[in-house]
This record gives sequence, C-alpha cells and structure tokens, in this order.
Amino acid sequence: MFQNRREGLALALPAAVFACVVFLVPVAILLSEGFRGAAGFSLTPYVEFFSSALNRAVFLRTLKLGALVTLVAAVIGYAAAYAIVNLSPANRGRVFGLVVLPLMISPVARTYAWLVILGRTGFVNQALTLVGLTDEPIRFLFTETAVFIGLLQLFLPLMIISLISALENMPRDAVPAARVLGASWLQVFTRVILPLTKEGLVIGGTLVFTGSLTAYITPAILGGSKVLMLETLLYQRVTVANDFASAAVIAMILIVMSFSANLLLKRLARARGR
Amino acid sequence: MKRNLSTVLVLGLVLAFLIGPFLIIIAASLSAGNSLAFPPQGLSLKWVAKVFTVESFRESFATSMFLAVFGTLAALALGVPAAYALNRYRLPFSETVRTVVSAPIIVPGIIVGLALLRYLVIPAGVPVILALFCAHTALVLPYAVRVVSASLGNLRSDIEEAAVLLGCTRSGAFFRVVLPNIRGGILAAFILGFVTSFNQVPVSLFLSGPGVRTLPIDMLGYMEINYDPSVAALSALLAFMSIGIVFIAERFLGFSRYV
Repeated sequence: MFQNRREGLALALPAAVFACVVFLVPVAILLSEGFRGAAGFSLTPYVEFFSSALNRAVFLRTLKLGALVTLVAAVIGYAAAYAIVNLSPANRGRVFGLVVLPLMISPVARTYAWLVILGRTGFVNQALTLVGLTDEPIRFLFTETAVFIGLLQLFLPLMIISLISALENMPRDAVPAARVLGASWLQVFTRVILPLTKEGLVIGGTLVFTGSLTAYITPAILGGSKVLMLETLLYQRVTVANDFASAAVIAMILIVMSFSANLLLKRLARARGR
Repeated sequence: MKRNLSTVLVLGLVLAFLIGPFLIIIAASLSAGNSLAFPPQGLSLKWVAKVFTVESFRESFATSMFLAVFGTLAALALGVPAAYALNRYRLPFSETVRTVVSAPIIVPGIIVGLALLRYLVIPAGVPVILALFCAHTALVLPYAVRVVSASLGNLRSDIEEAAVLLGCTRSGAFFRVVLPNIRGGILAAFILGFVTSFNQVPVSLFLSGPGVRTLPIDMLGYMEINYDPSVAALSALLAFMSIGIVFIAERFLGFSRYV
C-alpha cells in the first residue's frame, strides 16, 4: 500500500474526470429537464407524464413484464441450475458453456431469430398449420407474449448462472438429509433450497429485472409501437414528438429503478462479506 | 433413473429455448428463397455472400470495429491506472472515484446516448463519431476497471515494493513487474469490452449521423425495410465471430477466471 496520495490521485483522476465529463454531467443535465417548468423548478413534467393514460399503461406494462420475466426465469432457473449442478463434472462444463453461449451473441441477432420463429410464415405458424390446429396464421409478433418470450431468452442465462453458484455453495448433504427425514420435494424446496440460495436468487432476480426494464432491442423488434415499454417510449418521445421533458422523466424512472437494484446488490454483497 | 430422465428433459427444453433460435438463424441464412422463412427453401450460400456486398454493412462494420477496438483501448488507458490507484494507494474519496467510474453500468445506454447528443453534439458541434467514441469508452470503462482490479487484487503488492526497494523507479516497477503479471486480466478486459461495445445498441441509437452508424443500428434499419435472409446471415456470421473470440480467449487464457 503506497501512501503518496498525490500520485494515486493523478492516476485515478483521468478516468474519473472522463466519466464526469462525457457521462455524469450530460446525464445530470438531461435529468434536470424533468424538473424544469416555465419559471424555474417544478414537477410539471412529472405530473404531465403520469396524467397520460398511455404513459401510465407503458409504465405499468414495463413493471409487469419485468416482474413476470423475473418470476418465470426464477422457476425455470431453479430447475435448470439444479439439474446442471447434479451433472457429472465433464457434462456440467459442457452444459454450462451452452447456457452461457447466448450471452456472446448480439441481442439483435437473438431477437431477430424470434421474428423467424414467431412471424406469420414463421416456424410456429407453419407447424401449427401443418398439424391442422389453425387455418389462419396466428399473430404472435407485436404482442406482449412475443416481448415476454424474447426477454426471457435474453436474460434467463443470467438467472441460471447466479443460481448455479448459489446451489454449489449449498451444503452437499442438505437435500438428501431432508429427503431421508421425510420431507416432500415441495418442502425440500421451500424449507431447504430456497433459504440457502436466497442470495443467488436476489442477485439473479436483480439482473433479470433491471435487464428487462432497460432492454431496448427486444421490445422495439418484437413489440413495435403496439407494445411500448419505457425505453421504446423514450425513443419515440424524442424522435417523434421532440418531447425532452417526458424523455427526462422516463430517464429518471429508469435510473432510479436500476440504481436501487444495484444498491440492493451492494448491500447484499457487504452483508455476505461480514 | 427417474431423476436422470427429468434432468435430461429439463436441460433439453431449456437448451432448446436458449440455443434453438440461434440454430434457426443459421438455417434461415442458408435458405435459397428470397424471403425469411423456416424451414428454409433449398440450400444456398447466396445470402451469406450478399452480406459482403452490401455497402452500408461494410461501412457500419468498419465503424463498429473502430469503436470496439479503440474505445476499449481508451477505456483501458483510463481504467488501468485508475484500477491500480484504487488498489494500491490509500486515497481520499476512493469510494467516490469507484462509484463515478463504474456509474455508466447503472445508467441505461439510451440515456447516455441522448444526453451526449443533446448537450455535446448539438450545442458544442462535436462530431458524431467522436461522441460515439466517448460513449463506447464510457460504456466499457466500468468493465475495464472491474476486471483489472480483480487481477490486481490477486497479485501480491510486495513484489512491486520489493522492486522499488531494489532500486527500480515506481513507474519502472509498474511496467516491468506489475504489467507483465496482469497481462491476462488486461486481455480479458479487452475481449469483454470489445464484445460489449460491438454488440451495443442503445448507446448508439441517437448518435448516428450521415455515414456514421454502428453495425447493429444498421441491421435494425435494414430489417425495417427488407424481409430477406441477409440479416440472418449477418447475425450468424457475427455470432460466430463473438463465439470464436471468446473460445480462443478461453483456450489460451482461461478467460472465465477473470469475468
């Protein structure tokens, strides 16, 4: 540990100054526009934003889809992570690699694949027509379902990774012991696995939830202007309506949500370190 | 036996959901037909070949490459000294510095892009490409600091103190002792930064000007107008590129140790 503070500051300063100039200051000015009325400080942009039924619907839809994706990712994530942890070491590495693989692929490419699958002449519709379940192609694109599926595929790997490390840290004999003592699988899950992997669940859940809230590409491609979410609404407010006050309000909502999630994570990490 | 069956079933379904779309993209890009469809109508490489002939794809690929390589290098040039200072010096406000340099990870990219457009590009007349460069550097900076910090944390600090005691200058100790030892971490940070920057969309969404577009933005624009398999082919090619880079890094560096 070196004591020379001036030297240390000189090394750290360029990065901090850069982050301030190209990042903190512009973002702060943008956020301040949400508090600007005709005469100085005011909350008018917020009042106006939330007085629109469309905006409220988008806000609630974003929260709803975020929560739903997180919930479903948690359920699937537990099943998948439990299965992976119980594989032989060689297979575990291979399957883990396949789970992580999608994270390397551009979100545009991943979302684009769902166009091919869910489109009018897509895979699912062709299969359904072939089996004779429908005569008319079913509309999947530009529905909440399509956005939900796209987001789930995008963020499920993050949940699985978090739960795998949580399950690996669990005492090995906990589950067999509970079973021997007569617990049902449901009891094993709620009384043993869940309490022991709570942290992994919170970390995975935060990553999935904030990821879903702040995703742009998936709602833009699979939801279009029919299923607006906060990010796509922000883009639309700026490009179509030139409405920077609304954009500032949306930016504030997104940052507050993302920031509180990160604060929660930090607190959790500190509690674990103790 | 019953346990095994359910394990295989669960993993099969999850992997089909996660990997399946990627396989479908590859299949769709090999189609001989003129519109996007699965299963593909006949096999051909014509869409893969077409990707290379589209002028705008070539330009935006070059832009994305430039941003990913030089943005990440700039982030490392700023991030490595910062990580070193945060790890090895007792600094006042070190928590503040840490928060400031890692803040870009918390704020959604679309907001950064909009803020730069509105308060840097428009009023100050900063060229779009420079703003894009700054945005991508800011985006990668938190990863650079975090990954390099992790590998500095694994390196005992007595070795550079020993070098200094033996007569090496402080900067000499850094370049001759510390840097060679954290090479792996720096390379890992570079690869992570490169992939993050290259695949990034929201930051670049507002920051496009005439002739200045990143590849993912260009793809989004192309998709709105065309419904042919060339974006599928491009997606598949890009995916193979990312996977190839990560695979090579993992093979030679044990990349996953750092991330």
